[in-house]
Amino acid sequence: MSSYSPTYALLIFLLVSILMFLLFRPRRGWYWIIKNNITVNEKTVTEDVLKYLYHNEISGNEVNIISLTAVLKFSDNLIIDIVKKMTIKELIKFDGYVLSLTESGRNYALRIVRVHRLWEKYLAEKTGYDKVEWHGRAELMEHRLSHKETDLLANQLGNPLYDPHGDPIPTNQGKIAKLKGVALSSLAVNSVGRITHIEDEPDVIYKQILAENIHIGSQLRVVENNPKRIIFYAEGEDFILAPIVAANITVDVFEKDVAEEENTSRLSSLKINEIANIAGISKEIRGDSRRRLLDLGFVKGTSIKIDLKSPLGNPKAYLIKGTSIALRNDQASKILINKL
Amino acid sequence: MKKNSVENIIALSNDLRWKIGDDFHDHLAEGIYADASEIVKNTVQTDDKKQQFRLDSKIDNIVTSKIWGFPIMFLILGLILWITIIGANYPSSMLANLFLDNIHPILKGFAANIGMPWWLDGFLIDGVYLAVAWVIAVMLPPMAIFFPLFTLLEDFGYLPRVAFNLDYLFKKSGAHGKQALTMSMGFGCNAAGVVATRIIDSPRERLIAIITNNFSLCNGRWPTQILIASIFIGAVVPSSLSGFASVSAVIGIAILGIFFMFFSSWALSKTILKGEVSTFNLELPPYRPPRFWKTVYTSIIDRTLIVLWRAIIFAAPAGAAIWLISNITIGGESIAALVINSLDGFGFLLGLNGVILLAYIVAIPANEIVIPTILMLTVLVTGISGGEGAGVMFELDSANETANILKAGGWTLLTAINVMLFSLLHNPCSTTIYTIYKETKSLKWTIIASILPLIMGFVVTFLVAQIWRLIF
Repeated sequence: MSSYSPTYALLIFLLVSILMFLLFRPRRGWYWIIKNNITVNEKTVTEDVLKYLYHNEISGNEVNIISLTAVLKFSDNLIIDIVKKMTIKELIKFDGYVLSLTESGRNYALRIVRVHRLWEKYLAEKTGYDKVEWHGRAELMEHRLSHKETDLLANQLGNPLYDPHGDPIPTNQGKIAKLKGVALSSLAVNSVGRITHIEDEPDVIYKQILAENIHIGSQLRVVENNPKRIIFYAEGEDFILAPIVAANITVDVFEKDVAEEENTSRLSSLKINEIANIAGISKEIRGDSRRRLLDLGFVKGTSIKIDLKSPLGNPKAYLIKGTSIALRNDQASKILINKL
Repeated sequence: MKKNSVENIIALSNDLRWKIGDDFHDHLAEGIYADASEIVKNTVQTDDKKQQFRLDSKIDNIVTSKIWGFPIMFLILGLILWITIIGANYPSSMLANLFLDNIHPILKGFAANIGMPWWLDGFLIDGVYLAVAWVIAVMLPPMAIFFPLFTLLEDFGYLPRVAFNLDYLFKKSGAHGKQALTMSMGFGCNAAGVVATRIIDSPRERLIAIITNNFSLCNGRWPTQILIASIFIGAVVPSSLSGFASVSAVIGIAILGIFFMFFSSWALSKTILKGEVSTFNLELPPYRPPRFWKTVYTSIIDRTLIVLWRAIIFAAPAGAAIWLISNITIGGESIAALVINSLDGFGFLLGLNGVILLAYIVAIPANEIVIPTILMLTVLVTGISGGEGAGVMFELDSANETANILKAGGWTLLTAINVMLFSLLHNPCSTTIYTIYKETKSLKWTIIASILPLIMGFVVTFLVAQIWRLIF
């Protein structure tokens, strides 16, 4: 106790806190970085190369060794070394400078894609992780699950067809459905369609789409489309996007006009004393939340009106089937209604 | 041939799966509801229902209004707490009188008559009996008042409206509005508050409510706060203001607890709990006249007695431990004194002392016996006159005498403030810890719920102590 001084004690405390923060802060903490780096091995790099080639094959881009090393976040030496090994194993082949998948390489890639999308589906349905985190967590998981575990997972999830972003999940025989639709940015004014897919990469654009409160499964009509901006009307609201953002949203365009959903709006826009019929629950409400809402009677055709507003305006209580149920505004924005 | 047809069926089912799409669960639910509402329309007659609904919405419009919603809520909660704290004093002192002042001497006399050896007499009567009697005397009355009142409000249908009013605040910290109720229940007893989290059906929000319930200042801790505030905080201001100052200090601590509850709810939902499933919905049931006697009966049986029983189970061994550490000596010093000496350095860093830390370790079964243990241990190590002997917990009728003993133990204003803070921020009592384990069925969450407030307590008292010493 002889050397005690409150200043020193405080300084030591400060140092320890800073150290703990640097080590364990979410995502970028040194501890996590080291832990993740230790798990990087040949398998991870191989699978990431295959996945990258597969995605570019789908979008029709050519891949060479330069673009490969630029995109993958491993050291160049490691990538080149592994690419060599992969050619020997006949997973990939060179046509001049261009790299492409062999038949067995494609099958392998599909398996990884299957795990990735299944795991995203799992995170969406069975856990509470935020949408923004799904992709990163699936990136880690896709290298870990074995064939058997993957099939078990698929079974548990009821063999889903699409992942939460709308991408088709390959079957365990390696079959994969084609994604229907075109990029929102390429649509002509007044075309009508349904959002079938929201790309989750790159992160920056995905976050912008989420911030706009755009939901998968929404029916939309394009109002304006020029190099500056794209405006579309969906669920009673106008949405304004930059073309680069709109390019990451895929829309399935309707052949003939389907006008019935035009006056659909979101429950959050309902005002006191208005009465509406429920038109459905957005695909964005998943898992337990969705089942609970269905159980409570939030099904198509049920009439609904506002019963009470809480003093702070959120949540609101809705009168449905004679019962007063409180929902938060962000939930209400994912329930669709037809106002009467 | 047969195998072929099985394969055909599987192929067909795969095809059909793609055709019906992902929505078939929804369509099924819609179909069931459509059928059900058709049946209801044909068979159920609704007639007098409208009348009743009008009264309900009138009450609702008042208790959830922008102007009246919050004042009514605080008034009711304040009133319940006031009735509990004031009302429990009389039965508590009667029970204390009976158990501690009458039965205890009789038991001692009886033990002396049959020639029981001093150590058995001390172990059983001064240790085990005294701890159990103490816990019953101080725990039973407040719980028997608080829980029935609270349950009556619940039965009436008011509590869901409180959750409705406050949900937005709780949503900001990642929690559920119903946590307002479990938090309020925690003001009565944390163990009961933890049990009450069953009303939250979303897994993540329920865990948050369980882990943070300990930040509600429970009935066992109010008396400690009031006693110390009136001795030390009341003394630094002019005597005309002392009552006001000490009451404000206690309320300040309770509000600080609410602040910590919100803060750690937010931190938990952003870190270790972010993967747990989170859902929200809240039913606002119609009001109904509470079934008075049934409610009183069930709340006393279901809540009070269960909690009390658990407390007794834990209090008995703790009483034994308290007596043993004070009476077993190693090299001329009691175990208690040795432990206190080794804890003194750490205690000093936190602005506390070894006696207080040891008291919080051995008095883990119930916060109610912390002050009696501190008094007994202080007398033991300082050697001043007073008290009833080694290992015999006691409390004094006059605050002045208590103050004298504590000051002889080296207490300053800083010690008092930090004891108040530490009483708010430390591990839950063993009854609560056991209840958390029963409710979560998980060792991991039980440990987190026990350690987290303790770490916060260490950090807060440490910082307060250093800054205090820098300034004064």
